[in-house]
Amino acid sequence: MKIRGKHVIYSLILLVTGFMLSFSYQYTNQEDRVQSNDEWKREDQLRSQILSIQKENKKLLNELQEKHQLVNKEEEKIAEQEKLTFNLVEEVKKLRKVVGQVPVEGKGIVVSLEDSSYIPESKDTNDYIVHEEHVRMVIHELYVTGAEAVAINGQRISHISNINCVGPVINVDGVKHPAPFVISAIGDPDVFWNSLNLSGNITDQLVNDGVEVRMDKKATIQMPPFIEREG
Amino acid sequence: MWLPVLGLMIGLLLGLMSDLRVPEEYSNYLSIAVLAALDTLFGGIRAQLQKTFDDKVFISGFFFNILLAAGLAFLGVHLGVDLYLAAIFAFGVRLFNNIAVIRRVLLTKRTNTQQTEKN
Repeated sequence: MKIRGKHVIYSLILLVTGFMLSFSYQYTNQEDRVQSNDEWKREDQLRSQILSIQKENKKLLNELQEKHQLVNKEEEKIAEQEKLTFNLVEEVKKLRKVVGQVPVEGKGIVVSLEDSSYIPESKDTNDYIVHEEHVRMVIHELYVTGAEAVAINGQRISHISNINCVGPVINVDGVKHPAPFVISAIGDPDVFWNSLNLSGNITDQLVNDGVEVRMDKKATIQMPPFIEREG
Repeated sequence: MWLPVLGLMIGLLLGLMSDLRVPEEYSNYLSIAVLAALDTLFGGIRAQLQKTFDDKVFISGFFFNILLAAGLAFLGVHLGVDLYLAAIFAFGVRLFNNIAVIRRVLLTKRTNTQQTEKN
């Protein structure tokens, strides 16, 4: 019985020893595996992952730069186009004004040409009335000095307008206008005034031809658009 | 005689089967405990062979050595001194001593038996 008790104790001790031995063996095995195998593999994997991600980043960065350049180019192109279209729009506006397709308002000058109030008996009446060439002269002068829009008696003139003499009246684009002729022009009134009043220029010639000329600078002149008429 | 062997077997099996995970900082204690257990075991075998075996000394030595080694390691960790190295050294030396003694005793026994057989 005594021996048996001893044996039980020995077996318990051996059990503890065996347990500790095998446990530490297994434990170190696991640790080794974790450290030497898994850890290494994991590290390698992570490193390669980092490398691939870096490579990808680099590629994407390059791509991004390319795209940026493309966008810049596109933007420049668009800006140029906008500039172009802006210029075009401006030009179209200007041309429309000149052509007379839009109503215009602005400062300008009003020149009225009137038949001479005094006609001597012995002379030809023809020499003392306003002729279409007088009107044309004034209009040409106004255009030359930078008129943006011109109208006769409130009728807008355009580049295709025609002015004829039809007896005592003047035919402007098919509309007959009797004297006096009020020619209004939009532009710089001072420039018009000075150029028209230049000695030996329009005013002098008109006065010489026996036409009564009156000029007024106007702060605002409104003009209707040019209406094209058939015939 | 079969009971201690059975105990050893069961212990080995239990250790292999158990899926316990010891935290990293306690692995030192484990190794020292193993060393202490082995030392005591071999000391017991040596004592048995030298006919000075005392089961009380053996049993108390077994547990006490393990606890002492673990406590020493614990103290070392907390003092910042690697005291477990001292335990490992001491147990290692004793282990080698014990094994050497066992070997010699076994050798002398063998030669004795051979001589008696020859005679």
